[in-house]
Amino acid sequence: MLEVKNICFHYEKQKQDYYYDFSLGEGEIIAISGVSGAGKSTLLDLIAGFLMPNKGEINLNGQDILSLPPERRPVSILFQSDNLFEHLSVNKNIALASLGNENSNENQSAISNALKDVGLENFGNQLASNLSGGQKQRVALARTLLRNKSILLLDEPFTGLDEKTAKDVQALLKKLVKQHKWHTIIVTHNKHDANVMGAKNYVMKDAVLQSE
Amino acid sequence: MLLNNKRKILANSKRKIFGIIIALSIGAMIIALFLAILNVANIIPLSAKSTSPDIIHLVIMSTIQALLSTLLSLMVGIMLAWALNRLEFFGRKIIIALFASAIVTPGIVIALGLIDVWGREGIISDFLQIFGIDWDFSIFGLFGILFAHTILNGAFAATILLARLDAIAAQKLKIAQSLALSPLKRFLLLDLPAIKNTIPALGAIIFLLAFTSFPIVLMLGGGPSNQTLEVAIYSAVRLSFDLKLAVQLSVVQLILCLLIIMPAIIFNQDHIRAGISSNHRWQENGFSKFMQITILIVGIFVFMLPIISILLNLFSMEFFTLVLRPSFWRATITSLTLGASSAILTLFIAIIISQAKIALHGKISKALIALPLYVYLIIPALVLSLGFYILARQLQISNSIIAPFVLILGNALLALPFAVAVLAPSLEAINKRYNKLLSSLNLSSLSRWRFVEWPLLGREIGIVLALAFSFSLGDLGIISLFGTNEFTTLPWAMFQASGAYRNNDAGIIGAILLLIIFAVFLALPVIFRKFSNVRS
Amino acid sequence: MFSKYFLSLILVLLSFGALAQEKPTLNIYTYDSFAADWGPGPKLKEKFEQNCNCTINLIAASNSISSLRKIQLEGEQTKADILLGIDTSIAAQALETGLFIKHEIDVSDINIPNGWSSDYFVPFDYGYFAFVYNKEKLKNPPTSFDDLIKQDIKIIVQDPRSSTPGLGLVLWIKSIYKEQAKQVWSELKPKIVTMTKGWSESYNLFLKGEADMVLSYTTSPAYHKIVEDDDRFEFAQFEKGHYLQIEVGVIVKSSKNQKLAKQFLVWLISKEAQEIIPTTNWMYPVANIELPKGFMEQEKPKVALLIDEKIVFENSEAWILEMLDAFK
Repeated sequence: MLEVKNICFHYEKQKQDYYYDFSLGEGEIIAISGVSGAGKSTLLDLIAGFLMPNKGEINLNGQDILSLPPERRPVSILFQSDNLFEHLSVNKNIALASLGNENSNENQSAISNALKDVGLENFGNQLASNLSGGQKQRVALARTLLRNKSILLLDEPFTGLDEKTAKDVQALLKKLVKQHKWHTIIVTHNKHDANVMGAKNYVMKDAVLQSE
Repeated sequence: MLLNNKRKILANSKRKIFGIIIALSIGAMIIALFLAILNVANIIPLSAKSTSPDIIHLVIMSTIQALLSTLLSLMVGIMLAWALNRLEFFGRKIIIALFASAIVTPGIVIALGLIDVWGREGIISDFLQIFGIDWDFSIFGLFGILFAHTILNGAFAATILLARLDAIAAQKLKIAQSLALSPLKRFLLLDLPAIKNTIPALGAIIFLLAFTSFPIVLMLGGGPSNQTLEVAIYSAVRLSFDLKLAVQLSVVQLILCLLIIMPAIIFNQDHIRAGISSNHRWQENGFSKFMQITILIVGIFVFMLPIISILLNLFSMEFFTLVLRPSFWRATITSLTLGASSAILTLFIAIIISQAKIALHGKISKALIALPLYVYLIIPALVLSLGFYILARQLQISNSIIAPFVLILGNALLALPFAVAVLAPSLEAINKRYNKLLSSLNLSSLSRWRFVEWPLLGREIGIVLALAFSFSLGDLGIISLFGTNEFTTLPWAMFQASGAYRNNDAGIIGAILLLIIFAVFLALPVIFRKFSNVRS
Repeated sequence: MFSKYFLSLILVLLSFGALAQEKPTLNIYTYDSFAADWGPGPKLKEKFEQNCNCTINLIAASNSISSLRKIQLEGEQTKADILLGIDTSIAAQALETGLFIKHEIDVSDINIPNGWSSDYFVPFDYGYFAFVYNKEKLKNPPTSFDDLIKQDIKIIVQDPRSSTPGLGLVLWIKSIYKEQAKQVWSELKPKIVTMTKGWSESYNLFLKGEADMVLSYTTSPAYHKIVEDDDRFEFAQFEKGHYLQIEVGVIVKSSKNQKLAKQFLVWLISKEAQEIIPTTNWMYPVANIELPKGFMEQEKPKVALLIDEKIVFENSEAWILEMLDAFK
């Protein structure tokens, strides 16, 4: 259970206060929509630890995570783009998930298993910059798989993908979330995407997160 | 779609043509200067027997010194940029602005500041005396030259590299941070790719500065064994008036420097994939944070102490006598006017050349258009000044009329490589990022500048103006033949004062010069960023 | 808008030109610290203009050699009437250009060690190169180059290729040691902290305490004494003598104001003008006037050394190379 309790946040130079209060269970997905600048991505930054709230708590299974620095939070994050290091191979990009030796047999097979799960078996040695948008998102997902953190944050992950690719990635994502019981939050402007994923819908309105 | 493509090429080809015209004019002007000197050299008989100096020795010494200076400056620059990128602290912006100004501070002023600190009777020696420790350290010799160059050029390199690091996309930083990359991995995966493309051109500029750094090398060099080719050129003009030899030596210096920097300019790939300055700061902890703080403190200490000791000159008794003198105000006004004019000219040329460089395809053509920029930096100011002087005479233009124009043009061209180094990467990043959008919008070159580039480049434009302004404030070389009493600049007044036992006056003027330079570096980038609007 | 300003600027310049036409203008090419506010230039100009019904126009270059070079470049078209401030080490070079004429002034009265006889050059002040030290810090100043070499003393000198005193030192050592000059240079080498481009950098470094002695002039202590009321500085009296620097003026052949130029030079060596020289140019006057007190603290050198300008002209490059050789 991920609980975001009475979180209040405002940027240094703005007067606007943003409020968030909700919870979600294992394997559950919520989708957040709202106009741009409404404070959707701010929530993700707060959970990931890039921003600190002025008030409130964030707990995962009863444990406080606000006190953890970003790199120690049980969080995987995925953006619309810039998820991969373009000058590295797919394998290397995924290997960044594990801190151990990327060339060990164990890691090698973990990486190729993850690639198989996202349907990119033979892409390990490709340069990330040579992949299509959909393929890049799949590689990023493979890395998420390997890290297997309980919280998955997605910031407009389907934007820029064509309809069919988006559908494929959505199906894959849905399957993985179920399988690995990730607490998943998607920021999206597209309600249809949210419905396909079977997500609970929320909207940022007047700087407050509200369920629809 | 076809139509769009054509329009896009039209806007780009306009930029190419402008750029090529400007680059060719600069090249042509330099050739004209050389020819003018050679032309006169044939008329004027040799004044004294000139024995050919030991060129090979000078060339080898200069090259070694300049390569070492470049290497050290880049290393220091990377370390400082690394520390500044990670740390957030009060006064960060001021420190960055001070570092950025390092490259344009008058070399002699800084060298004297270094002596105040590290010299036999300097601050450090005095401090150690308290504990009864004898300071047995000499700043003279190759070490002193490298030390001065590393401080000046390293601080400048740091600010250029820092701009690249600060421009790494926020999303990328967040991904890396949540992946918990180690400080080393972060440096290798995020930082290095971001600065990799800036290093060759930056290195080339630093190399040229170190190679041609005449006053610092002579002052701290410790004797004729550490000297540059420029000494020989100087001697050829001054002692024997062997203009042909002076031109020949200049050409040797030109070819040599170009051979060394050419690969750096050509193989400077353009994969700069920078977002536009992100404000996400990811601090590190533990050992790396300790290292960053140490590097920064040492950097600020070494850089700021000489500057503070120069600024202390302001508290001298003679301050009021000096600033009440009308000649001081004349010099100040002349300097400010010249500085402002050449800053605007620099910006104008730098924009055109940068735009053309980006519009051009192919490494060779990109390098060729950048070439004239460096040429001007390589040729000794004395020779340039001589060339302008002769040219003006041949064109029958009076000295006092042409002097300001020569100064404005000369200083603008001197500042040009730095201006392009600041402007081009950011301009390129914008063009890469919005490439498709720009071509689909059918924007003309001018409206592309007005609506897209100018609003996003405010800070860089401020830096370019500050650089060029300070360059012409601090420059002495070009003026040496033109200086008359009616036409005096601050550096000239400083030179005058120190040539007549008036070291206090010289010290005060040096401090005032530094203050003006700092003020400009602090204010202009901020003003222009606001002025050109949007950014955060 | 701009062109309008530009036009009016030209008009202003032209009208100045027209005004100046009424009185003859004497253009004097000189070096910069001569023409500076505190130098002798402005005072000489003011005094001379009182009686000559003329205007004096001082045109300064960064050093006297540059002024000569300017005249050489301008050739027949030069507007210079007088070249003022070159010294005897470069005089023969100036003569060689053929751009100057004889002065036809009686210089027999001129008070210069070893006398004066040039038909072309009028000397207006002189000095001796010397090593200056701070007597509170250096208790036993050397009395010769040999003594200097033996002692544990650090000195700062100037590069002969870019500086007048620097060249002076080469000539000084040559005039004493002849064939052994190179040997002396190589023994001096470890004593030399650095060799700067110009005198001002050297002197600055010396004042900052970077060396025990600096190559300068016998008159330098007088500046500190008179202007700063600081009597810590003295020059080291060398028994075998000091090299002379004589600054001269010379009339330009193409000048249209040769009479006026001659009048100025005659006046320049008069007592009235010479009174101005010591405390503005910090050199010894060539007329028999009483020196300001600060100049009298130390005796003038007993032996004045000077190599014939023709010989300097023919050999200075070789002597510089010889010195450079010793530094390898």
